[in-house]
Order: sequence, then structure tokens, then C-alpha cells
Amino acid sequence: MAPIIEVENLTKSYGGKRGVIDVSFEVPEGEVFGFLGPNGAGKTTTIRTLMALIRADKGAARIGGLDCWRQSVEIKRFVGYVPGEPSLDPNLTGGQILEYFSRLRGGVEGAYLKRLIDTFELDTGRKFRQYSTGNKRKVVLIQAFMHRPRLLILDEPTSGLDPLNQQEFDGLVREARDEGRTVFLSSHVLSEVEKTCTRVGIIREGRLVRLGSVHELKDIKRYEISIFFAEPVAAEAFAHLDGVASVDTLSNGSGLRLHMQGPADAVIKAAAQYQVVSLTSYEPSLEDIFLRYYETDGQRGKQTAHV
Amino acid sequence: MFRSIFLKTLRDYRIAILGWGVGMGLVIVSPMASVATLITTPEARAALAGLAAQFAWNADPVAADTVGGYATFKIGIFVFLVCVWPLLAASRMLRGEEERGSLDVLLSVPRSRARVAIEKIAAMWVALLLVGAIAGVLAYLGGAAFKANFGLDGGLLFGLDLALICMVIGGVALLISQFTHERGPAAGATGALLLVFIVVDMVHRVLPNTEWVSRLSPIYYYNLSKPLIPSFGTSIGGMAVLGALAVILSSAAVWLFVHRDAGDVVGIPGVRVRAAAPSRGLPAGAWSLRSVYARGLGMIAWPSFWWTLGMAAFAAWMIVAVHQLVDKLNPLFANPSSQSAVNILRNIGGGASGLNALLLGAMFELMPVLLMAFAVTQVSRWAADEDEGRLEIILSTPRSRVAVMLGRFAALATATVVVGVVTLATAALAAGLGGVSLDSTNLAEATLGMIPLGLLVAAVGYLASGWLRTAADTGLLSFILAAWFLISFVGPDLKWPDATLRLSAFYYYGTPLLHGLQATNIAVVVVVGAAALGLGALRFARKDISV
Repeated sequence: MAPIIEVENLTKSYGGKRGVIDVSFEVPEGEVFGFLGPNGAGKTTTIRTLMALIRADKGAARIGGLDCWRQSVEIKRFVGYVPGEPSLDPNLTGGQILEYFSRLRGGVEGAYLKRLIDTFELDTGRKFRQYSTGNKRKVVLIQAFMHRPRLLILDEPTSGLDPLNQQEFDGLVREARDEGRTVFLSSHVLSEVEKTCTRVGIIREGRLVRLGSVHELKDIKRYEISIFFAEPVAAEAFAHLDGVASVDTLSNGSGLRLHMQGPADAVIKAAAQYQVVSLTSYEPSLEDIFLRYYETDGQRGKQTAHV
Repeated sequence: MFRSIFLKTLRDYRIAILGWGVGMGLVIVSPMASVATLITTPEARAALAGLAAQFAWNADPVAADTVGGYATFKIGIFVFLVCVWPLLAASRMLRGEEERGSLDVLLSVPRSRARVAIEKIAAMWVALLLVGAIAGVLAYLGGAAFKANFGLDGGLLFGLDLALICMVIGGVALLISQFTHERGPAAGATGALLLVFIVVDMVHRVLPNTEWVSRLSPIYYYNLSKPLIPSFGTSIGGMAVLGALAVILSSAAVWLFVHRDAGDVVGIPGVRVRAAAPSRGLPAGAWSLRSVYARGLGMIAWPSFWWTLGMAAFAAWMIVAVHQLVDKLNPLFANPSSQSAVNILRNIGGGASGLNALLLGAMFELMPVLLMAFAVTQVSRWAADEDEGRLEIILSTPRSRVAVMLGRFAALATATVVVGVVTLATAALAAGLGGVSLDSTNLAEATLGMIPLGLLVAAVGYLASGWLRTAADTGLLSFILAAWFLISFVGPDLKWPDATLRLSAFYYYGTPLLHGLQATNIAVVVVVGAAALGLGALRFARKDISV
């Protein structure tokens, strides 16, 4: 599938302060791409560059083959956008805001807009300033989805939404994906990315440090196995097995926590030699993977790792 | 400076204290500099005193032939400018923080609501006293330089009187902001009230036996003191009334703030706000949602309405006032020995052709200032929209940045035209009803000629917003406006060179009520405005949108 988003060596600084440095990635059309990073990593800078709200110092960003800065108006015809900190006219009602943006976009399909309003159970008669944080987010989400854009660029889109509405949002993202549309979303809620995204990019201190599918990222993860035995077992019996990175002793020696990086076959076979009370494997979430990357000394972060 | 809410708030005001203190000081010193050129002979001195008496609508003409007296007389109505800062500062003191959401955090610290509000008010009052002190010291230094007969105590009392009226107007703004969801309407309503107060204070100087009406205005009590005129002195009673009013208004505001929900407004007794039923519908056929231009119009509809009403009423009031003055001034014009007075009047009003037009010419100096001030407030709204992130989603729609900016500017231009046209209609109607004879072409040019000036200020503001944030943009525009006014207000008295006078936009407005508009001059304003707008659009198209 041809890429709908192409970012090449994108660099942006704010005066002397770092924004993003040499960020490069592509997002094929039809993909749900998660853009991960802690606060201040450069997620919003990248997204605002894509939306032509800021201009890159160096490098290029294209959407649908069009230059994000020079051809932004053409691009925005097929893009829906949710900013990280949405702010709208406080004196307009939710309904007025949606009506206004539908007109600025040249009209939207009324039935679909109605469905979105019903899906999020938005009270369109209240003024924006009277909405709760979650309801403000609903208005912004609806305006991004209402014209069925070919590409959705969403900066932390579920921030402030309750779990029920997060599920509705997940459903909309899946629906967009099923219709062959592309979703580019930033988040630091990794479970949300895990549920909805097919590929992930991790950005840290302005540099893209990891790029790959969610599944591929999991392949390189560390995981833990906790085994409780009827009698104490020496940690050394497991410490040098294939796939074991390190071992902690639990419960006076009758339990072991194995930090794994690789297949568990040798561990299972070794455990079978003892009377096992319980065995638990803990599969880390993306969050754990994510955190591990930020625990590194930065060496890995200097060049994007493709897995 | 971060040890208490009081100190932190005072720190926030540090630039304003210096800027307004020095600015107000210069405003009072400037007429002192010019008075020497106006009273070169005993005849001219007597004529000036006599003429000032005829301009009593502006201010009490007391000892107008002295440095302190002339300065006090000359700044008369410009108490409006003095009160702008406290008006803005007080309307955003609590409401502005609520809008930004920062008050919730402030109220989470272990301080009572009343204490939070009182510390903020105290900081503003201290700031105003410092502004008054700086202005007072500058007035004293100016007086000493021009051999005035008042001392440092007079200067400081003058500053105190200024600070007190500012505290009252700040109290009004703070009180009104308890009833509005946003700071803008509170500031607008206070500005309108301030105009009313000024006009109410004028009433007793124009219409006989109406002093009781003027007593309803705090400006009346401010004018009871004239500390720069030693023979007149200071009214302790007047100052006490102002101090009491400031305390009462601010206390009422604090009481309401303590008893209402944070982020909400005080309900007006008898007015029940009906909760709207939950809705899933969309508005149909709303005109103001059709485009950026239409939305821009919708946003400024109410402020435009109030400004139009205020300016039209002010224009009508001036015509009524002229009607009262003409009878008094006719003998002065008829007397050949009063030629000095006539010359001064010509200098102020722009030269004589008809007495009505001559007087109105002097009074009409204020009209373009008001329209330009309206433009400043609306430019500030544009800059705030970017600062507060409201342009972010609009710019995600398939509209070019230039189209968005020009759409908003076009809305402001439309409102400016409406203000000019309605002012013309009202002035013409008032002149017709009042029997004041005016050249209708000149009247049309005087009112419609304000429009390019308003648009020039707006264009410069849009240009500056390409680099500056809201407060700095508004501050710069206000400074430019004050500088222009100062050049045109004082420059001719001081015989400043023509090149200097040409730096002011008012120079190009001229005296249209007397001489009509000069096409070349208006073309200069239009060209400069168009250039500023073009550069502003270019800058906006290329800049990073701030967050």
C-alpha cells in the first residue's frame, strides 16, 4: 500500500529548544498508526508540522504525496484533526460548533453526523464553556470524524473520555480502518494503542527510537515468569538457562521470579523437575516495553531501530 | 515575589505600573509645556481663561491661565484613558483566571476565597497608588520645569486623586465581572458605564441647575479636587467619597465571589435561567455559522452594537452641547478684542468657517479615537484566539490562512463601517432636531472619514499579532494610539514641525467637519493600512501558530 504520510528527516526547534530531530517514517494508507512518547518528546510538534500549523526547519513532510506546508489547503480537504489541547469558541453550543465546521468543510452527511452525536450521547444544546472536559473532547472528536476523512490525525484523542466513550472511539477507529481509511494517533495510553493500532512509532527526546508493528514490538519484549514450588529451589538452577535474563528469589526461596528475554522452553523443562505449586507468566503491556526504552542510556535512541 | 498572592499579583502588574505611571505623567506634563506658547501676552492669557470657560463641557475651567490650571483643564475628559488599565485589570482579576481555569488551582491552596480576592484587590490598589505616585512626581517635575506654582504635595495629591478614581472604576469592573461568564463583556460594560459617568458629570457644566444629576457620577467627585491649582486645592470630601465607593464596590464584588460557584455567575434576582433540555439537534440556517466572515461578524455583533450606540449617543450629545454653547460664544466672536481667543479656538478646532462646525470640530477630535479604541479591542480578540488555541481547528479545515485572517478582518471592517454610518445618521438627525446648522457633506466626511482610521489601527494590530501575544499587541496598539493623540493634541500648541505632526494618523484625518476630507491624506491612510494588512497576511501565512 502506498504511504499516505511520508516524513523525511523532519527537524524543528523552537528558538534554541529542541522540538524534533531528523524524524523519518511512513504510514501506508489504510493503517492505524500509533505515535508514542512521553510528554515533551515531540509528538505534538510532529503532528502540528503535518497539519501545517508550524513549519519544519529541515526535512519534508508529505500527506497523500502533497507537501504539508505548501499544499496544506488541498491536504485538509481529506484530513480530520484532533489537537492535543482543543479550544473552541466558548460561546457557541456544541451543535453550533459542529454546524460551523461542517460548513467550513463544505458540508457533511447529516445522517452520519447524527449517528456520531448519538454514539457519543452529546448534548448539542449546551455552550462549549459549559461542557465537562470529556464532553469538550466529544465535540472535537465528532468534528474530526464527521466528514469521513481519508486520514485522521489525532493528538491524544481519548484524553478525558470515560471508558465507555473510549470504547465508542475504538469502534470508530476500527470502522475507519475497515473502510480503508488511515488513522494516525498519538498517545501515551499504550493499552489504547495496543487495542487499535497495527504499527507503532516511539519518539523520545525528539528522535524516533522505535518503529514497527505492535506484534513485532512484543517479540522483543521482556516478560516475567513467577514459579512457586512446594519446597525452596536454588535460583542458580534457573539463572543460566536459555532465555533467562535474571532471577529474583521470592517467599524464602520457595518462589522464583524469572525475567525472560527469549523462549521459555528451557525454563518449563527445568521447572518440571520440581513440585510446582503455581506458575504465572506475566506478559508486559506496551507500556512496559515503552518504559524500558526510556530506561536505556540513549545509545539505542540515536538511530531508529526497525524490528 | 512569589511568597503570597498579593506579591505575585503585584509582580504581574510591574510593567503596567511603570508604563501607565510614566504615560499618565507625560499626559499631564505635555499641556504644561504647551501653555507657555498660548499665553504670550496678557490679552492671550485673558482670552484663554475666557475661552476655557466656554469649553466647560470638557472640564471645569479653573485658573486655566496657569500651568497647573491649564493642565488640569486640558486633560479633563481624558480621565477615560486613565481608567482603561484598572478597567481591564479588574475585569480579568478573577473572571480572567476563571476563564483560563487557573483559579481552581489557586483556590485549592489553604486560603479562603475572600482572602484570595482581597489580596488581589490590595495588589491592584497598591499598583494604582504607585501609578498615581509616578504620575504625581512627574507632574511635579514638569511643573517645576515650567515654573508652575504647585509643589510636590500638589503633584502627589493629583496622583492620589487619579488612583482613587481608578480604584472606583476597577471596583465597578470587578463587580460587573461577577455577573458575566467572560472578562470581555465585563470590561465592555464598564467602559460603557465610564462613558456614561463622564457624560453625567458633564451635564451640570452644560445645563443649568443639574448639579444633582452630576453627583450620581464618581467622575464628579474626582473633579472636586484640583491639586495642581493651589488656589483651588483638594477636596477631602470628594476623595473620601471615592475611597468609600472603591471599598463598597470591591467589598460587594468579594462578597458575591465568595458566595457563588467558581466558574459560574451570580444569578440576577427575578431572572431565572431555564435549563435547556438535552438536545441532539443541530442549528438550522444560522447565518453566523456560514463562513469565517459570518462567524467573525457574529462574534463582534454585541460589542459593535454597544460601541455604535455609545458613539452615536456621544455624537448626538456633542451636538446638543454645541447648541448650548453657541449662544454663549457668539458675543466672543463678535468682539474684535477677543481675537486671541478666536485664534486659540481655531488652533484647537482647526480654523473657523462656521461657529457650529468650529466647536464640533474641537469636540469631534474624540470620535476617531473612540473608533480606533474599538478596533484595538477587536484586534485583541483576534490575537487572543490564536494565543488560546482557538484557531487550531479552524486552520485544520480546507481554508487558507490568509482567507481565515481576511475573513475576520472583513468582519471588523464591516462593523467599523456600521459604526461610522450609524454615527453619521444619528449626528445628522440630532443636528436637524436641535436646529444646529452643519454642512452635511462635511458631516458625512467627518463621520465616514473615521472608518479608514479605525481600519488602519486594526491592520497594524493584525500585523503586530504576527509576532506579539495578545497583551503585548494590545499594549503596542494602545501606545501607538496614545502617541498619535499626543502628537496631534499637543504638537500644534508646541509648534512641532510638520514632519512630526505627519507621524500621527490624526493628521491625515484633519478637520473634516470644517474643511472636508483631503483625498490625498485619506489615500495615505488607506495605502498604509493596506500595506500593513498585506504584510500581516503574509506574516500570518508563514508563521508558526502558537499554542
